[in-house]
Amino acid sequence: MTKSVELPQGTLEMLILKAVSLGPLHGYGILLRIQQISGERLEILQGSFYSAIYRLERRGWIKGAWGESENHRRARFYSLTAAGTRQLKAETAKWTDMAAVVAGILDKKAGEI
Amino acid sequence: MSLLAAIRKVWHSIAPRTSSDVEEEFRSTLDAYQEDLMRQGLPEEEARRKARINLGRPAAQNETYRRAIGLRLFDELGGDIRYGLRGLRRSPGFAAVAVLSLALGIGATTAMFSLIYAVLLHPFPYADADRIVNLFGLTESAAGTSFTWAAFSKAELDDLGRASPVEAMLGFNPAQVEITGALPEEIAGTYLTENAGTFFGVRPLLGRNIEPSDAENGGHFVVVLNYRFWQRHFGGDPHVIGQTLELNHAPYTIIGVMPRSFAFNDMTDVADVYLPATLMQHLPEVRVPQYLPWIKLRPHVTPAAAKAVLEPMVLEIEKRDLGKVPEGIHLGLQPIIWVFQENTGTTLKLLLAGVVLLLIIGCANCSILLLARGRTRQHELAIRKAIGASRWRIVRQLLVEAIVISCTGAVLGVAASYWLAKLPLVLSPESFPAESFIRINASILAFSVGLALVSGILFGLVPALRLSRRDSAQMLPGRQSGVVAAPGKRRWSVLIAAQVALTLLLMATAGTAIRSFLGLMRTPLGYDPTNVMRLGIIRHGSDHDERGRILSREARVAYFEQIRDKIASLPGVSAVAVGVRATPPYTQALDDKSFEFDGTGNREQTRARVILVDQRYFAALRIPVLQGRVWNANENTGGDFIAVVNHVFVARYLSSSDATGRQLRIPGLTPQNPYQVASAQSTAWREIIGVVGDARNDGLERPVAPAIYVPYTTVIMPYAQFLVRTQNDPPTYLQSIRAAVASAASGQTLSNSGFNGTLTLNEAIERDAQYRSQRLFSILFGVFSAMALALALVGIFSLVAYSVAQRTTEFGVRLALGAPRKHVLWVAARIALVSAAVGIVIGLAVDSFLGAVLARWMQNGFAASGLFAAAALLALSALLACLLPARHAITVAPAEALRNE
Repeated sequence: MTKSVELPQGTLEMLILKAVSLGPLHGYGILLRIQQISGERLEILQGSFYSAIYRLERRGWIKGAWGESENHRRARFYSLTAAGTRQLKAETAKWTDMAAVVAGILDKKAGEI
Repeated sequence: MSLLAAIRKVWHSIAPRTSSDVEEEFRSTLDAYQEDLMRQGLPEEEARRKARINLGRPAAQNETYRRAIGLRLFDELGGDIRYGLRGLRRSPGFAAVAVLSLALGIGATTAMFSLIYAVLLHPFPYADADRIVNLFGLTESAAGTSFTWAAFSKAELDDLGRASPVEAMLGFNPAQVEITGALPEEIAGTYLTENAGTFFGVRPLLGRNIEPSDAENGGHFVVVLNYRFWQRHFGGDPHVIGQTLELNHAPYTIIGVMPRSFAFNDMTDVADVYLPATLMQHLPEVRVPQYLPWIKLRPHVTPAAAKAVLEPMVLEIEKRDLGKVPEGIHLGLQPIIWVFQENTGTTLKLLLAGVVLLLIIGCANCSILLLARGRTRQHELAIRKAIGASRWRIVRQLLVEAIVISCTGAVLGVAASYWLAKLPLVLSPESFPAESFIRINASILAFSVGLALVSGILFGLVPALRLSRRDSAQMLPGRQSGVVAAPGKRRWSVLIAAQVALTLLLMATAGTAIRSFLGLMRTPLGYDPTNVMRLGIIRHGSDHDERGRILSREARVAYFEQIRDKIASLPGVSAVAVGVRATPPYTQALDDKSFEFDGTGNREQTRARVILVDQRYFAALRIPVLQGRVWNANENTGGDFIAVVNHVFVARYLSSSDATGRQLRIPGLTPQNPYQVASAQSTAWREIIGVVGDARNDGLERPVAPAIYVPYTTVIMPYAQFLVRTQNDPPTYLQSIRAAVASAASGQTLSNSGFNGTLTLNEAIERDAQYRSQRLFSILFGVFSAMALALALVGIFSLVAYSVAQRTTEFGVRLALGAPRKHVLWVAARIALVSAAVGIVIGLAVDSFLGAVLARWMQNGFAASGLFAAAALLALSALLACLLPARHAITVAPAEALRNE
């Protein structure tokens, strides 16, 4: 396994929203997709993963429905709701802003300050 | 069903997914992961193990779910509640004492609140009852304020009804009605103006109420039944509508039955039947029907504002009717609830204060028990703390346990209150509106639930804060702390002292109430009530033949005397007297009249009660003749020129030496309405021929009023009462008396309800308002203080018992080292004894301070002697409650105690 990155607080939810925005996924599918998109660099703490899913569902950002998985099992598929779409957009904007600001600060060289 | 659905819906919105749903989803993820791992080459068992290590157990997943959606607090509280219940089951003795302490307090408080709700907050079933007012005349004079009902004709009512502050106007006229036909029976009727249905706004139980159309064509012969009459006379027959009831020799169609809560009207008499007012014009003895008014004011109109408009109108009517306006008369408007608020409100508030004290004592008891039990739980709490429980978590747990106890107590208490609330109604039925019957409703339930929570927090908080503060390090090894003096005793002492002081307060109040009740019972009556009963008789004259016979004065006298003689001739009847509303302890046929003496005639200053009786009255009631004589039979028939006065009259207006032989004149002794007939010389001079002893005539508590007795034939009414003295219990003679009356005058009824009712003079005393309210006070406060005493003793007892059980080792060591038994006993009981003593001292101080306030509330003296008796009783029982459990301390066998160590 490659060097893993620890997730900052509260970003797991955003990643789940992003994963689900690409199409309905069951829990394990979300886990796989996040790892796949991140190039296997994110190690997600299993306990917090489902807690995050339950919280998102409770807030009405994702919606679960029972369906059949690719290997013909019953699985619960999650998809993004309208509120979830808005939330993802807002979170993304916030994250990019913050990342830009932080990166900007960190990029400064001694002479520029 | 819908309730279950609603609960399910709420539950669904709190936790939308079931645990099996969550678990199944998690299992499918686990399986998928496991298959992945197997594809990577792990053996099945290994993959299964790794999947579970990485993802967790499916069984625990529901907990993760509930925590994620914020149900953790909920789950923990549920756990605390379950733990609390289990704790109660584990120590049933503690649980029983604690729960019962609270059940008593909460039950009594809820009962009292539901009474207050029924009497003061919501006593009447009528629509907009808070806007309905009574109208009456108030006459101010030197002798005080006198009060007269105002009656109006229909036209006058209609005039008043058009006044701007009036929304609706009801006229009613209570009248005795006779059921004629097979079984004659006299019942109470009330004529109602035909707007009654809309005025009351009460939906009839069956059929309809009286409507405006019932006034058409001179009035329809229809009748609406009161619930109780319907039950009594028709056995609650649901098919009664449309049947015929023969009243006063005319057939009436039954059109409706009112619900149980409708008992119009408390002020005069609850009627058995309601009739359209227009029918009154068919009554032969009525020239112009007169009605008493109930006025429904428009919203937001105060009685004062309404009075300003109505007073000139009413005075104008009076002027037209009487030719002049009586001097000093005012109009009074009073909400119909006022009478009950005024008479019963203070009583209820005092009783509520009593039960709140009881509740506080119950709470103190629970606090003491929790503190005492807390000592055995120190170890458990220390462990909880040591493994990371926060103080808040422990306080919360202890509070939840306290609330579990208080809610259990509240459930029992509310169940008990259903019966407790009926107690005052049973003891004193006439202090409460007939309409109000006790029901447990939403506001009362909310009250008791609130009460349970408040009291749970009240008694749980002190122990919770106390127990959670302990330092765990100090506590963990502390199982052998028996030899060390236990901390936290100060709080026990405070609680015990407070409890004892409050108990003393209740006991002293009860003592005062009982003492004044006994005083009232010992009041000299001035007459002998034993084995005397009253029988009412009334002539209607609804039949034309009869009417001619009874209308003249002589015919009436002869009629009453003939029936009297028949009753007097019965075996076992020793005396029969005739009187007009002359049944003690409250006798008043006429308003107090002014009179004048020969020569000196300042009429405003000399007023006396005029009592209409026959010459046998004094002997029948055993009222002694102090001076002179009473009149004879001839003088009784004549009615004029003679009078007898009572002792107070002489003391107030004459010097006793010259009482007999003086002349007096009562100008007001004239007929007040067409029903009454006066003798030829009723207002002429009368000679005082005798002076009799003072018999109560103004209620039990008020002093005897100056009274002039004159023959009842002076102003003869269409009714009278017989006072029958019998050799045994009077009601056993009723049957033969009825037969005798029937043989003298067929069709004549003896009334057995209402103000003419058959009743013994002892019952008349029991119905006296003062007697009833004092008896109510005595019994209820007696019960309260007994409960309080029991609670306080249980509190002291369990405290000492607990601490002795805790300190077995200590006592064993003390005894082994040779401590005298007396000393050990003292050590064991000391704290409780000292706190109880302090409590008694505080209680005494508070009581003497409150004495003045209480005396004013209870309208009688607050007795110091009663207080000390109560204190002595309390001290003695507290001593016993301490010593009984403390005795165990000296029965500890030293060897055994040390072995336990």
